[in-house]
Amino acid sequence: MVISAVYVRPQKLEEAVELMSTDTWRILAGGTDIYPSIGENELKTSFMDLTNVSSLKGITEDQFFWRIGALATWADLLKTKLPPAFDALKQAAREIGSIQIQNRATIVGNICNASPAADGVPPLMILDAGIELTSINGLREVALKDFITGNREIARDKNEIVSCIKVPKIDLGSRSVFKKLGVRKYLVISITMVALKLSIGESGTIKRATLAVGACSAVAKRLLELEYLLEGKTTAEAGDLINDTYLADLTPITDVRATANYRKVATKILIQRSISSFENRNQDG
Amino acid sequence: MPTVTMRVNGKTVSGEVEARTLLVQFLREHLRLTGTHVGCDTSQCGACVVHVDGNSAKSCTMLAVQAIDADITTIEGLADGETLHPMQEAFRNNHGLQCGFCTPGMVMSAVDLVNKNPTASETEIREWLEGNICRCTGYHNIVKSIQEAAENVGG
Repeated sequence: MVISAVYVRPQKLEEAVELMSTDTWRILAGGTDIYPSIGENELKTSFMDLTNVSSLKGITEDQFFWRIGALATWADLLKTKLPPAFDALKQAAREIGSIQIQNRATIVGNICNASPAADGVPPLMILDAGIELTSINGLREVALKDFITGNREIARDKNEIVSCIKVPKIDLGSRSVFKKLGVRKYLVISITMVALKLSIGESGTIKRATLAVGACSAVAKRLLELEYLLEGKTTAEAGDLINDTYLADLTPITDVRATANYRKVATKILIQRSISSFENRNQDG
Repeated sequence: MPTVTMRVNGKTVSGEVEARTLLVQFLREHLRLTGTHVGCDTSQCGACVVHVDGNSAKSCTMLAVQAIDADITTIEGLADGETLHPMQEAFRNNHGLQCGFCTPGMVMSAVDLVNKNPTASETEIREWLEGNICRCTGYHNIVKSIQEAAENVGG
């Protein structure tokens, strides 16, 4: 089959997968990153618009997983009743772009665009999310941390479509929080961001902490040493433990938005604020 | 070139466009519906907001082909003949505009808000408008206009 069109809109996933194996396509879902990236240049790419593939829509669950379909938007996410561990992802959703962008932009698109400052990545990292890829050869799954391989680089083969994000139903009763720092509240690219999930025991000590930092390395990072360190501490004790040693894995850069050093200091403060936000919630609860 | 067919302000329209044509270009240049404005061209300012299947979206952030079969409402689709939509009327009563450039997008965002949350607080209104930038009014009268329209619509 010779394909010469620059725009196709398949109706079924099988059709899309078939097309993917025959030519190079730029995949279009929400489209909110695509147009601004073109700027003044002429648009020459061949596009495959997935927006009519109904099996990629929505957020669903089965016994073991939540699935965020390739076409699920940030607005869809906010409308879905989800366990507390998704709170961080929902808080990120409220601050992505603006309402109009949240109505169009997809969560999977945020991952595939693979910006170091993608707000969706740290909240999904603390959920141990996996990426499901579909191709003519069948399904394949990659952990999110292995899927994003660098600044705007992902481990998607040329013929694959990301069909969904899979979140295992493990520890989803724990609450989570997302904090980002930008020069304004909205319409802003993050200087640094933190997603934190804490499981707090009866005694008030942390049973399990899961923490990821974005915009401070080419790919957002889990801080595993710090996660380990927080275990068994109270939230009050935990805040004082954060020091530069545990942030050593971060490699922030100096750019138009902030200096590397500022990013590091701000990250430490955001982590402390994230931890103390659980104290307040405990009192409320 | 792809043919696009969609409903715009209740009427079915179609046209042949290059795949790279943005929805806002299709509305303005093919349909001559120039009420929808292009401010920043980088999907920040919100002057180009229209409703796509009942949700506000930036029409400079969508290709026209993505709107195939969609139901689009633009600022031209709000008034009922000579009778302004309550939101338009409220903007007029409260001086919710000065130069008017951002107004079509402001009104379309505001209508979407009131449709979804008729009892929105002032804070909720201001947060909702995060995607619409106005360089004249300081937003105060825009917020007042939306509050008045919400009261009128809500009865």
